[in-house]
Amino acid sequence: MRKKILLVEDERALGLLYEEELGREGYDVTAVTDAEAALAALDKTAFDLIITDIRMPGKNGIELITQIMGLRKDIPIIINSAYQSYKEDFMTWAADAYVVKSASLDELKSKIKQLIGA
Amino acid sequence: MIEKYNILSPDFERDAPREMTLLSVISQSFFQPFSLEDNLLVILTALTSGSGVGFNRAMLFLKQGDILRGEMWLGPRSPEEAGFIWEVLSTPGIGYIEIVEHNRALVSKSEDTLSRRLKGLTFDSCEETALIPAYAACRKEILLVKDAGNEPLVDRRFLDVIGMDEFLCIPLLARDEVLGVIVLDNAITRTPISPADIKLAGLCGLIAGNYIYSATLHRKLLEMEKMAAMGEMAMFVTHQLRNPIVAIGGFADQLLQPDLPPEKASRNLAIIRDEIRRLEDIIYQMGHFLKVSMKEPAYFDPGPVLAAVFDSPEVRTKSRSLTLNIKLEACLPEVLCDPTSFGEVVRNLLDNAFDATPGGGTVSVRGYRKNSGRFVLSVRDTGRGISNPDKDQLFRPFFTTKEKGMGLGLPFIKRVMDTCGGKVEVQSRAGKGALFKLIFLSRERETTP
Repeated sequence: MRKKILLVEDERALGLLYEEELGREGYDVTAVTDAEAALAALDKTAFDLIITDIRMPGKNGIELITQIMGLRKDIPIIINSAYQSYKEDFMTWAADAYVVKSASLDELKSKIKQLIGA
Repeated sequence: MIEKYNILSPDFERDAPREMTLLSVISQSFFQPFSLEDNLLVILTALTSGSGVGFNRAMLFLKQGDILRGEMWLGPRSPEEAGFIWEVLSTPGIGYIEIVEHNRALVSKSEDTLSRRLKGLTFDSCEETALIPAYAACRKEILLVKDAGNEPLVDRRFLDVIGMDEFLCIPLLARDEVLGVIVLDNAITRTPISPADIKLAGLCGLIAGNYIYSATLHRKLLEMEKMAAMGEMAMFVTHQLRNPIVAIGGFADQLLQPDLPPEKASRNLAIIRDEIRRLEDIIYQMGHFLKVSMKEPAYFDPGPVLAAVFDSPEVRTKSRSLTLNIKLEACLPEVLCDPTSFGEVVRNLLDNAFDATPGGGTVSVRGYRKNSGRFVLSVRDTGRGISNPDKDQLFRPFFTTKEKGMGLGLPFIKRVMDTCGGKVEVQSRAGKGALFKLIFLSRERETTP
């Protein structure tokens, strides 16, 4: 069965790219553009992994992570941000991995593999 | 009962004691957003105008390191010119702004003669070897020089330029630091310099010293703020560029896949093109924000600029889904700003209001006088409003609550308003819309008879 990934990314082009590229890797990707939509999706579906951006309109990625942890859902989380500096924010340490956005998706793909397998 | 008085006295009181007039001219000029050079000119003006101290000519030297350098010379070149200038300056009803404008023209006219000769002069202000005028800076004393031709302490090059046997040297001091020297003489009337003149000129020197000191500090502060903003900007740019670059790189990689269907290839190319346009937009906006040079503020009629902004296709398109309500006073005063920057400021503020207001909402623009000498242009929207924590950060570069914003609009507005001596105020609560007020210095238009 294909592993399910919830992608929270407000940049639609990037959402589309990740959806396609991770789809090619054999994952089933649900892309949403904000934290509220992510929480709604989490209510409905049992995801194997969450990938989230940090800077988004409305609730940011860190607030989203905090809220998910409060839900006590044991889902691995990867932070995928254009900002390297958020690594210094201890609130991001709760995530299982921190991948800075790059034109090559290799690092992201390898972290996903490490966390939930192919 | 309460009586109200304007901080700026609009008229130049000709019958007031000259000490009062002098202090009034200088302090009122510092209140204006004149440049450092213009304010120094005001000091020289106060020292040379008949209603001020009344010296014939004034020369300003500023200290840079150990060197005292000639900067500015104000005064007539001949008795004929003196007669003409003093007649203009004693015209009833003439204000200090007009005097400064007149003297600015005078300085630029005499640029090729007096000021140029003075600007070529530099003096070593090292304590052991300094000669007058640098000697006054070293001693931190007011020096009245008489029979200068026979005084070995007077620098000969300086004597050649000034051509006067009697003159007064006033050191400009602030916090025990010497910032320059002003030299005064009565080359036209040949009137001897009196003890009362010396006292008043000394007071002027103290004010000038403190003004130069605070203006220099202010410049340094602006420079530091600029550097801090640049650092923040460098970090921000890195991040702003990353998202489009990831999209361009990722979709370009897909284009290299041999099995990519042609429709996806076209889609990818369209996305890449859009992202490149976005990169271009980011670069344009950064360039615009970095363009620090704004033209020297001047009074102008804001009516035509406002009409051009309100009638622009951009504003008409954006205001289509909401009500744009504009009410300006019938006869607008002249405002102090650079007209181009003024237009951009208004456009930026309107853009923000349109972006914040949902369809069916209202954006109201008002233009009205506030007290004398102030013109307010306000933009109110019925949008989502601004929360208190966000309000504190509104004018910080790169702070934005917009999905696609760069956070450079309000910092730009603030910079323009600071430069032209105005200010920007904001009133808002989350969910209750926002009111932005641009407060400009203004003056009434001259009525043509």
